[in-house]
Parts: sequence; C-alpha cells; structure tokens
Amino acid sequence: MNEFRATLAIVRRHLDRRFAIDWAMQFGIVAAIAYAFTRTFAHPILPLLIASTLAAASTAERTHAESLRRLTFFAMPLYGRQLARAHAIAPSLLALSIPAGYALGSALRTREFPLPLFLAMTCAALIATLVSLSSIFREGVRAWLYVALAILVGPIVTLPYVLRPAHETWYALALTAVIGFFALRAFGETLARYDPLPL
Amino acid sequence: MKIFRAIDVAFERDGVALMAPFSLALEAGGDAELMQPSARAASVAARICAAIVRPTRGVAYVGDFETRLQPPQAKRMVGFVDRAGFSGDDHALRCEVAFRADVWNLDKSAAQARASLVLEALGEGAYARAIALALVADVALLVLDQPASNIARSVRDIAPGAAIIATIATIASTP
Repeated sequence: MNEFRATLAIVRRHLDRRFAIDWAMQFGIVAAIAYAFTRTFAHPILPLLIASTLAAASTAERTHAESLRRLTFFAMPLYGRQLARAHAIAPSLLALSIPAGYALGSALRTREFPLPLFLAMTCAALIATLVSLSSIFREGVRAWLYVALAILVGPIVTLPYVLRPAHETWYALALTAVIGFFALRAFGETLARYDPLPL
Repeated sequence: MKIFRAIDVAFERDGVALMAPFSLALEAGGDAELMQPSARAASVAARICAAIVRPTRGVAYVGDFETRLQPPQAKRMVGFVDRAGFSGDDHALRCEVAFRADVWNLDKSAAQARASLVLEALGEGAYARAIALALVADVALLVLDQPASNIARSVRDIAPGAAIIATIATIASTP
C-alpha cells in the first residue's frame, strides 16, 4: 500500500468542478461581506466569528457531507486516520477561501488588511473546518453539537491574537497546530467507528 | 485455507436486529449464498462480509484478519459489489478504475485492461460495471450484494480462484 498515492487519489477526487465553484462562491460571499461591513467591525473577534461560522457550516453542508459518506471510501483498505487526513485536505483548502475573500473585500474598502488578522482568520477557519468534519458522520443533536463546537473553538484558538494583536499571532498559530492535530485524530476515530449502513 | 469465516455474526442498532445472524466458512474458490429476510438485511450482511461494517456480535475473518480489528488488511483481500451497481458512464468508469488503481497501488493500464476484460465477459450494465471495479485488484473474496442469478453464475468464470459470497433477500425489492 502506497499511502501517499492513495491520499493523493482521494484528494484529487474531492477537487472537482463542484469544489472550484464552492471555493469561488464562498470567496465571493466573504469578499462582499467584508466590503460591506469591514468598517463597522471595530473588534477583530467579529471577522473571526464569521470565518469560523462559515467554515463550520460549509463543511457540514449536506451535499458535501454526502460525498464524504460514499460507500466507495469505506471499501478502501485504509485506516480511519489515513482516510481522515485525505478527507481533510479539500475542506481545508475550501476554508482558505474565507480569509482570502475577507482580505480582498477589506482591502478594497479600507485599502489595508493586516497580515496578523489574515493569519488569525485562517487559523479560525481551519480549526472550525477540522472540528466540523466530525459532524458529518453523526446524526441529529450530536451533529449539531459538533457544528456549534466548531464555531466556538475557531475563535478560541485565536484568543492570543484577539487579546494582544500586536504580539501574539505566533501563539495562535501554535495553538491551531495543537488543536488541529487533536481535531484530526478525533475525525479519524469517528471514521474508524462509522458503519455505513444501507438506507 | 479458509478465505472467510463468520462465527455467530449479528448486527444491531439501538437494540433492533438489522439482519439475521449467520455463521459461514468458505475456502478459496468456494461459493456461498447468504439468505437474509429483507433487501436491507442482505446489504448489511454483505457489508459485514466485506469488512465495511463491523458486527456488533460474533466475529468475522477475511483470511487471517479479524474484520473489526484489522479492517484495512481484510478489505485488501475483498472485492465488494454494492446492490445498486455502478451507474456512471464510460468516462466515470475509467476514472473510478484509475482511482482504485491508485488506492490499491496497482498499475493503471493493467487495471483498465482487467476491467475491460471483465466487462467483455459480463456485458454492460450497472452491476457488471461494479463487478469490473471490484475485480480491478486481485482479490481473494468477492462479495456480491443481491446479484441477478445470471450474473452470479458468470462471475465464477472470470474469477475462478476467488471465494464468492452472494447475499440474497428472501423478500426482493427494487434497488
């Protein structure tokens, strides 16, 4: 088994035309929000909340969730953690459209967009995505709780930046790496325990 | 050598049995039909045989690998054919064969050639395409979820060395 080749094949499968459309749409929506409201967002927590909410919601979106639940993925000779890593790459790339879109909209309106805020939004969106992935393989209240957790945890990892924006971006990045690692492991466990039953 | 062993395997969800419990042992090149009371139960049983779903009671082995503890090793020996078959067109089929060749770490052109050979033998149709995909890798066990009887007979000629399990629903329903 060549794990890298298998991972690449799964990632390529996710990066289809629909993914490109979703990326562009999300980028456009966030750019429009940023252009319209960036001057009213006095505190950085607001764009961070937008980033994590959008990332958690788009990850748990029904069509996207169904594509991850396809039976073909569960017939493959891979461990849950290997499948989790492969499944997480495309949603993480999709999450990057949020800070990118916000940066464009904000720069068009105010002619400036601080790099630390871009990094913090990236951290919030990535963490919300990784936590929200586990909601896909759960039903009802438990799925919604994971989405709520994702929306909450996204801004929490950026607290070092929110509290002291000038100095603490690196702490936020380190916190993102740690929480992201555990979120991905939890997603791997979820996949390993998931039984794809027929309807 | 036993390719598949299931000992008192059952599956329950929220206290409700989703299939009839079964035990089964199958040698290389052997065939077995697994009767289940409904189409859904037959699909659950097929997925358990293919190590996709873990039994809630009992134990199942593919080769020497316990399906609950070593699912990737077990799945590597199994070709699974879903009841719905593969409904994609020729291009989608070629993409799927290439995808499986990547995942199973096979030569892509050899995998395409093998799929074409299977389709030549079985003819067209969603189920035949799904069998062609399942046989892209050289599997020891082929699990067919509720196949049509004519296809089930033809498969033996294509994969003479493989053990074949076909699930059958005693109350049939349209996929």
